[in-house]
Amino acid sequence: TVRPKNEVEQKQLCAFGEYMAEILPKYIQQAQVTCFNELELLIHPDGIIPVLTFLRDHTNAQFKSLADLTAVDVPSRQYRFEIVYNLLSLRFNSRIRVKTYTDELTPVDSAVSVHKAANWYEREVWDMYGVFFANHPDLRRILTDYGFEGHPFRKDFPLSGYVEV
Amino acid sequence: LASRLSRTRSEIILVVYSNHVLWSLQRLRILYTKILGVLQNIPKDAAYRKYTEQIVNQRFNLVQTETDVQKLQDKLNSGHIEEVIVQAENELSLARKMLQWKPWEPLIEEPPSDQWRWPV
Repeated sequence: TVRPKNEVEQKQLCAFGEYMAEILPKYIQQAQVTCFNELELLIHPDGIIPVLTFLRDHTNAQFKSLADLTAVDVPSRQYRFEIVYNLLSLRFNSRIRVKTYTDELTPVDSAVSVHKAANWYEREVWDMYGVFFANHPDLRRILTDYGFEGHPFRKDFPLSGYVEV
Repeated sequence: LASRLSRTRSEIILVVYSNHVLWSLQRLRILYTKILGVLQNIPKDAAYRKYTEQIVNQRFNLVQTETDVQKLQDKLNSGHIEEVIVQAENELSLARKMLQWKPWEPLIEEPPSDQWRWPV
């Protein structure tokens, strides 16, 4: 069986993506809607805090809940890490994805000032990928062992690690 | 004596509630005027100013014309009055931050051409 296409939701999400791109042209590079009706905004890294604050505070887009904060490693790109924020709006019952990029050495603004939930998620991204978050209150390792060296989720980190167990 | 006491207590509760309602509507009016004042400093052609003024004026008119709180909540269709107040406060702080960030300017920097290509 194939999931039925929801044209109405697709159109609404497209309209909302155009609305966002019109209001924030300084930061939004692309806006796309996937075939399963998921809106994604592709952002310049300087615009993380403005875009997340806008999505949280604006009346037409009350995305008060940060559902997820992850990173994706694509080593062939110039900016290899892609930071992904998943937001949920309880008022309008809709989700949105915000994506930024960075390389290994450039720090990224922390989202903790906008969403308190980002605290441990950003610690996890630092621990697993090595993306540094500026203005984070307490950026330290969260899942790896105390003397662990390396960032395990990177694509060039071997599956069974460097240390024999 | 007990019935007299309960009558005055319910009167007090009614007075407190109606004062709360009057105060909330007044607070909403103040907040909306402040938001409109902040929006005046944004360039007229910015989309943020256009859409936010539209929203705020629409809500402002509803608050001016409708005095019954229940009907106002139904017309605004945005939760209780207290939630509408919180939302207006958020919009005000957002407008002030937008003045500093100026997001209506053109794009800061284009991404590298392979950045958003998927599949890689």
